[in-house]
Amino acid sequence: MKLAKNKVVFEDCKKSCTEIECFSILDNQSILVTGGTGFMGKWIAEMVSYINETGNYNIKLYLLGRDISKFKEEVPHLAEKPFVSLIKQDVRYLHNLPSDVNYIIHAAGTPDNREHVSNPLKTIETFYKGTQSVLDAATRLTDLRKVVHLSSHQVYGKNETEQFINENAFGAFEALNVASCYAEAKRIAETLCSHYKNSMRLPIVILRPFAFIGPYQDLEKPWAINSFIRDAMLGGPIRVLGNGLTQRSYLYASDMAYCILLSLIKGENGGIYNFGSKVGISLNDLAIKIQNQSVSKIEILSRSSKDFDNVSKLVPNTDKITRQLNFKETITLDKAIERTILWNQLNND
Amino acid sequence: MIKQILISDPTLRDGNHACAHQLSLEQIAIYAAAADKAGVPIVEVGHGNGLGASSLQVGLCKETDKDMLETARKHLSKSKLGIHVIPGFATIKRDLIRAIDIGVDVIRIASHCTEADITQRHLGYVRERGKEAYGVLMMSHMASATVLVEEAQKMELYGAEGIIIMDSAGAYLPSDVQEKVTALVNGLKVPVGFHAHNNLGMAVANSITAIESGAKILDGTARGFGAGAGNTQLEVLVAVLEKMGYVTGIDLYKMLDASDIAEDKIMKNVPIIKSESIISGLSGVFSGFAKHVTRISSEYKVDPRDVYRELGKRKIVGGQEDMIIEVVMDLIRNRK
Repeated sequence: MKLAKNKVVFEDCKKSCTEIECFSILDNQSILVTGGTGFMGKWIAEMVSYINETGNYNIKLYLLGRDISKFKEEVPHLAEKPFVSLIKQDVRYLHNLPSDVNYIIHAAGTPDNREHVSNPLKTIETFYKGTQSVLDAATRLTDLRKVVHLSSHQVYGKNETEQFINENAFGAFEALNVASCYAEAKRIAETLCSHYKNSMRLPIVILRPFAFIGPYQDLEKPWAINSFIRDAMLGGPIRVLGNGLTQRSYLYASDMAYCILLSLIKGENGGIYNFGSKVGISLNDLAIKIQNQSVSKIEILSRSSKDFDNVSKLVPNTDKITRQLNFKETITLDKAIERTILWNQLNND
Repeated sequence: MIKQILISDPTLRDGNHACAHQLSLEQIAIYAAAADKAGVPIVEVGHGNGLGASSLQVGLCKETDKDMLETARKHLSKSKLGIHVIPGFATIKRDLIRAIDIGVDVIRIASHCTEADITQRHLGYVRERGKEAYGVLMMSHMASATVLVEEAQKMELYGAEGIIIMDSAGAYLPSDVQEKVTALVNGLKVPVGFHAHNNLGMAVANSITAIESGAKILDGTARGFGAGAGNTQLEVLVAVLEKMGYVTGIDLYKMLDASDIAEDKIMKNVPIIKSESIISGLSGVFSGFAKHVTRISSEYKVDPRDVYRELGKRKIVGGQEDMIIEVVMDLIRNRK
């Protein structure tokens, strides 16, 4: 089953990685990933593994995270790769980085909003203090080429228009909302990036992620698509909570990893990029899509407090990553759901 | 447009408060079957304080959780089996896993109204198992509407599919219910529910105010069988809702039959609003304290009304039953 599961991921990397030769620039270079043992870190490692193997490159990867033993247990095939080095470190207290690091992907910190409301101070500290520690350490590297900072779409505030969100958008903020610590911390982290770029001349690119789905993402995470897939895999019903007309978009994990690596080599210094899928879908339609992929007939239930006046739409305008990074989505939402279900079935077995 | 209200019936859970947690398996079987026949959507079963709560501190239950749930499960075919879970009394490993394995459908994870943080793991686990998960904020009269919304939003983020506020002390007037339920409906995406106690005779009126303010879930018990002065009387609530054009899915005649059966077979005393209950409601004291206050006050010959007043002043909440004796002792000392 492990082999079958890893094969799913390998095939996905193959499909997403449409321009392998452009990574020759990373040959014999070292990339450090903070949050390296999480969902993004695992996928970056999978994609680098595919690129190294297929392109015959030697890209070295440092994965920095707090729970190295869990990573070794969950993905031994990645932990044992010769190009992977694991560093056990809380990003908040980071001081020095390996001296041969050329690229940094700063992806530390959980987007799980349950953690944000339960531990708001830790959330703020991780993004504020963690980002500052990483950037400080980056200033001491002698051969640093690029830092890619993973921010969040939440820096845009609320979007209750029918518009796609572009990089200049700015919606309303509720600083006192219980969950706002995440958005506010991500905003201050971007301000830090701006300072280090201007004052320290660090070559920083900011990606603003929207929603992702795929293998390695816990189905118990509290986001709509994860819950719907989990409900479906348990035999239903799928429960749509809140406004079913809410629009979201989902980028598949291997496309996500490929795009992050593209931003390392093609991202413009100081550039800010929306990072996600441009194909929006309402939660109601998403539930139907997942229902249609289930073997047994399952029910969809809607639960909401009221009729909503506005529809929240969190779908990015992705013109900039298409134009500047030459990024194209290769895996459709239907396929993404199918692959996620397949991988989780193999994982459960 | 059909106005649908989801009814949850805790006769076999809150009612356990009214009989010192002495409901027998036979009584559980009889009422569960009657409620099922009436089409009650959710039948909640267990110790008055919920799963895993049987203890010297809050009262020992006649039956085990396992036996109660297995018995109820056997007698419910249409109705869903529900439980009330307060993290701390119930742990995931010891209690929740077994309850879900027995076949519980609906799990309401409850905390004091300002402590929603403690529900994160339990709500997460229930969702992970694919069961219906609700958040419950108890003693909700002790927090402002703003605080209730913040706590409810946490539960919503933890995965609750609806948030129920409990007037555990029977302290609300309709204007309080309107203020709090409206704020919750505006601040949440998931449905809001209301659980009343009848200390001030307002249970049905408050429940109706709740739905007129946007709530979609109501609790009620047969003959109001529940802690203190009892809960919203379910058969009355169903009749009133029917008259107002709301749909509950409950057959009124069969619900009336179920209430008659409940009165005959499971209630030693039908709840009434006793003098003490009125003071308890005015003081904002948890209805589950009634039996303890009556017993200790009588033993030490103090006026139970003074005890309620003092408990209210000290803002004592459910789970702090050991404070009742301390209050009584202080009253005696002050008298001297």
